Amino acid sequence: MIATIPLRSLSAVWIQVTGTWCNLQCTHCLNASGPRDPWLAPMAVARVECHVVDAARLGAREVYFTGGEPFLHPRILDLLAFALARLPTTVLTNGTRVTERVADRLTDLAARARYSLEVRVSLDAPEREANDRVRGRGAFDRALAAITRLDARGLPPILTATDPRDAVVRDGSLYERLRRLLLAAGVARPRIKLLPIFPVGRSADGMPPPDAVDVDGGNVGRLPCADSRAVTADGVYACPILAGLPEARLDGDTLDHALGPVALRHAACRVCLETGASCRNA
Amino acid sequence: MPRLPRDRGELPERLMARASVPPEYRRVAVFGGVYSNVPALAATLDDARARGVEAVFCLGDVGGFGPHPDRAVALLRERGVVTIQGNYDAAVADGAPDCRCGYTDPRDNHFARLSYAYTVAHTSTEHRRWLGALPPRLRLRLGTLTAVLCHGSPRAVSEFLWESTTPDGMLRTMLDEARADVLLCTHSGIKWQRALGDGRHAVNVGVIGRPENDGHRNVWYTVLTAAGGDLGVEFVAVDYDYEALARDMEAERLPAEFVETIRTGWWTTCLEVLPSKERARGRF
Repeated sequence: MIATIPLRSLSAVWIQVTGTWCNLQCTHCLNASGPRDPWLAPMAVARVECHVVDAARLGAREVYFTGGEPFLHPRILDLLAFALARLPTTVLTNGTRVTERVADRLTDLAARARYSLEVRVSLDAPEREANDRVRGRGAFDRALAAITRLDARGLPPILTATDPRDAVVRDGSLYERLRRLLLAAGVARPRIKLLPIFPVGRSADGMPPPDAVDVDGGNVGRLPCADSRAVTADGVYACPILAGLPEARLDGDTLDHALGPVALRHAACRVCLETGASCRNA
Repeated sequence: MPRLPRDRGELPERLMARASVPPEYRRVAVFGGVYSNVPALAATLDDARARGVEAVFCLGDVGGFGPHPDRAVALLRERGVVTIQGNYDAAVADGAPDCRCGYTDPRDNHFARLSYAYTVAHTSTEHRRWLGALPPRLRLRLGTLTAVLCHGSPRAVSEFLWESTTPDGMLRTMLDEARADVLLCTHSGIKWQRALGDGRHAVNVGVIGRPENDGHRNVWYTVLTAAGGDLGVEFVAVDYDYEALARDMEAERLPAEFVETIRTGWWTTCLEVLPSKERARGRF
């Protein structure tokens, strides 16, 4: 029997602004993003703006821009400014497009906004070779440069890493290595978020979805689908992990019409349930 | 002027929680996060009394971080402070495995564990019972305004309401749900206030247990003054003998990182929950 989760309140809205269009092709990518023929299209500016306005009206706490690589969107800085005028805003990036000029623009945006702008830069290992094996040659140096660039400007970014060994890092060792990396790079305010690997996209492993019995006593109160929704060019989804999967699409093309209960029918749901992991910043 | 019952058998919080019509005030003092900082608590209560407030409210988290948590509970009770339950208080009362502070970062959780283990070990059974009986929320009248008092947010005791990540629309929704005009909260450790432009207000009253990550050693509480439907919000800086507290913490072998915060005014732990704006204002 499949468990369903009602929406407690709409708190986080994820915007898959570039669909699955990315300049990297990471081996573990949860939505199989890449540079050629994205299977999920980037979003039009007007569509994004509508969702942001709806999210603010519905009392959401924050919006997240993700992809793909959001900084490939030709209007990303305008969209971040639009969102930031209404809600606390986070953008998830591989850092490769965060040049000196972009870092200046982001810092300026953040300084003028009343709400926080968070930049999350993905890195998968504290060693160049191990990281680039997953994310592609040069990805490590460019991500680290983006982090130091933003930190030096007073916009401390969050290094986001997935832990390939375990669902959630409990012994802190990857965390400590990443922290040492940031301190050695001169980052004044090291910020790190660890995420488990989700069995979707290029990491799909045939894990079955949870059944209703698993839900009892699990991390139900922390499930993202209880307080989040994700929007794409293609519709509305329960969470960013499932965004774009045809079988996970919710009824309704707007947030207002996608606030009903959702079914935990996907393998990835098991990871949230078992680990209590949250894709949100904190 | 309403009179607050003293601690003579029945808790003032219980009396208030039971009242069908919320009590009405014109001038009150409100603080959160005592964190076992007895010198700051005593200084705050003296200051509030000198300002002629009608009642003093504590929004929870009596223990944690500092030394001798039992002393803070005793002082709150002795002085008739109306206290609601924070996540820390609920956890200590229940004997929970952790403080339910809501941290996700391993380094934050490391320090939270040290602090929590010390507090649990040094809180008496009687005080645990008192903490366990505190209400999670209270309602009162400030002039003609209805205020809801909570620890984190009206919907979750461990929700952090930072100034830079609490949008107006969310506050309006919370106030609608709580059927209130004024939201009073703490939990995050840094004060702020916002008038929503429709006669409603949100105030994070700050904490008196540790300085607010600005390089100053004082702590902050809030005095609210109501006149009809108008609300005055005054943040009050409290100086106290921080060096005495620091020495006490060292004697109790609490983490050096905690003592550093008391002596410098900069947060050294529990930093990962800070949004970028608040984080950038600190040293670490």
